[in-house]
Amino acid sequence: MALVKSKSGPAAASMEPVGGDVASLLLSLSSDDARARRNAARELADHPQAAMALCDRLEHERGPSVRAVLFTSLIRLQSPDVAGRLAMHLRSDDAQLRNGAIEALQEMPDAIAPHLSDLLNDDDSDVRIFAVNILGALRFEEAPRLLTEVLRKESHINVCAAAVDALAEVGGMEAIEALEELRARFADDAFIVFAVDTAIRRIRAD
Amino acid sequence: MTVEEYAKFIEFFYRKTGIQFQENKRYYVERRIVERMEKTKSESFRDYFNLVRFQMDGQELQLLINAMTVNETYFFREDYQFQALIKGMLPSLVRGRDKRHALKIWSMPCSSGEEPYSIAIHILEFWDQADLWDIEILASDIDSKILAEARQGRYGARSVQRLPAHLLSRYFAPIGDGLYQIRDELRDSIDFTLVNIVDKLQTGRYRDMDVIFCRNLLIYFDDVARREAAEMMYEALRPGGFVCLGHSESMSRMTSLFVPRKFGDTIVYQKPSSAE
Ligand SMILES: C[S@@+](CC[C@H](N)C(=O)[O-])C[C@H]1O[C@@H](n2cnc3c(N)ncnc32)[C@H](O)[C@@H]1O
Repeated sequence: MALVKSKSGPAAASMEPVGGDVASLLLSLSSDDARARRNAARELADHPQAAMALCDRLEHERGPSVRAVLFTSLIRLQSPDVAGRLAMHLRSDDAQLRNGAIEALQEMPDAIAPHLSDLLNDDDSDVRIFAVNILGALRFEEAPRLLTEVLRKESHINVCAAAVDALAEVGGMEAIEALEELRARFADDAFIVFAVDTAIRRIRAD
Repeated sequence: MTVEEYAKFIEFFYRKTGIQFQENKRYYVERRIVERMEKTKSESFRDYFNLVRFQMDGQELQLLINAMTVNETYFFREDYQFQALIKGMLPSLVRGRDKRHALKIWSMPCSSGEEPYSIAIHILEFWDQADLWDIEILASDIDSKILAEARQGRYGARSVQRLPAHLLSRYFAPIGDGLYQIRDELRDSIDFTLVNIVDKLQTGRYRDMDVIFCRNLLIYFDDVARREAAEMMYEALRPGGFVCLGHSESMSRMTSLFVPRKFGDTIVYQKPSSAE
């Protein structure tokens, strides 16, 4: 028959040592072997004191699979300090790193909260857009209020458009007034008018 | 059980299993705890919780886990994925492969065994190359009681109702009371093991998998536990290997480690062949 039982059994399969002390795990973070770096990053999720070292590693790490594990461990170890370090990658030209940071920050509402107002007022409109993207997926009570504030204060049309999209996801009836004001402000812009109407329809349907 | 006790309990249970009970599951959770408290003659929730946390051999934790899990499953569930296995994934996996190199398929979680047995039946019935290859099917679950049932291989009418009659008679023997016993050849060809997907030590033993079926488990997890599960599967797979999730589950919110691949009507997730 074609089906066979594994001769060795999973238990006997090659097994790398997991665990180890923090110092040797930190060393392994810069190993040449991607699997060893992932293992170390994964194990360090149990060691809060390693959070900043994981942030440091993220600055140099190029392997996408290792980055993924670094982000996951940092979600586990989240704190305002970690969120601040991750937020720096919103300025990165490396789209994979930037998106990884956005996704990770979306998982840490309490940790990113203290940074939100700075990010929403950043000089760089791209950073403001990413901050709005984060808010749109953040399980954070304040998100709708902050997003309506963006609609009222923001002058950059792309940031406003991102905020409209985000409100379509998380907004409630209280957002409608600000959405209508925005539509009046950009009445000549077919895209904004369309996006606002769609968002209002979605909010009303919920 | 006070609000704080409930919160402490679900946090503890989440850390042990990845399963996240929301507030609306409170009745479900409490009813099971009360049952376990009666069985263990615990006087208070505190006593019981201490037993679960500090018992040396972890036996009560295992029994509690067995009581909490949702084991719903049946033969040929979401069988378009098994067809995708036969028509798409297996042919892609064996292209240019050395015949001595066994194919490894892991059903995780397997619950009472319907899923790994369905995989086995599909391979034997529908894959014209089945005889050319050694195929290992491994099957794991966190629930020791349901695993014992899987090993026993005895099923009721509801579980087999999607099986075509000729396959039912080929692979099962009726044993009365509306029960069907799966044939020994099939039963003996699957390796059932107790594995907790959130336990790195346990999952670290699974390597070089070609296909992992991880269906209808991650719906019970929160986002970060899902990410960790996806990363575990990445470790366990060979480059080019596949993950199959349940129809309401998707990798897109979990990780970008995998490449979505469409086979027929279903999307599965492939570890890049160039992966380090
Ligand atoms: C709904 S069943 C799914 C069975 C099968 N895969 C299917 O789709 O029909 C979910 C199973 O996941 C198992 N499970 C829950 N938490 C688990 C964990 N942390 N590790 C492994 N299995 C787990 C449960 O015991 C249960 O048998």
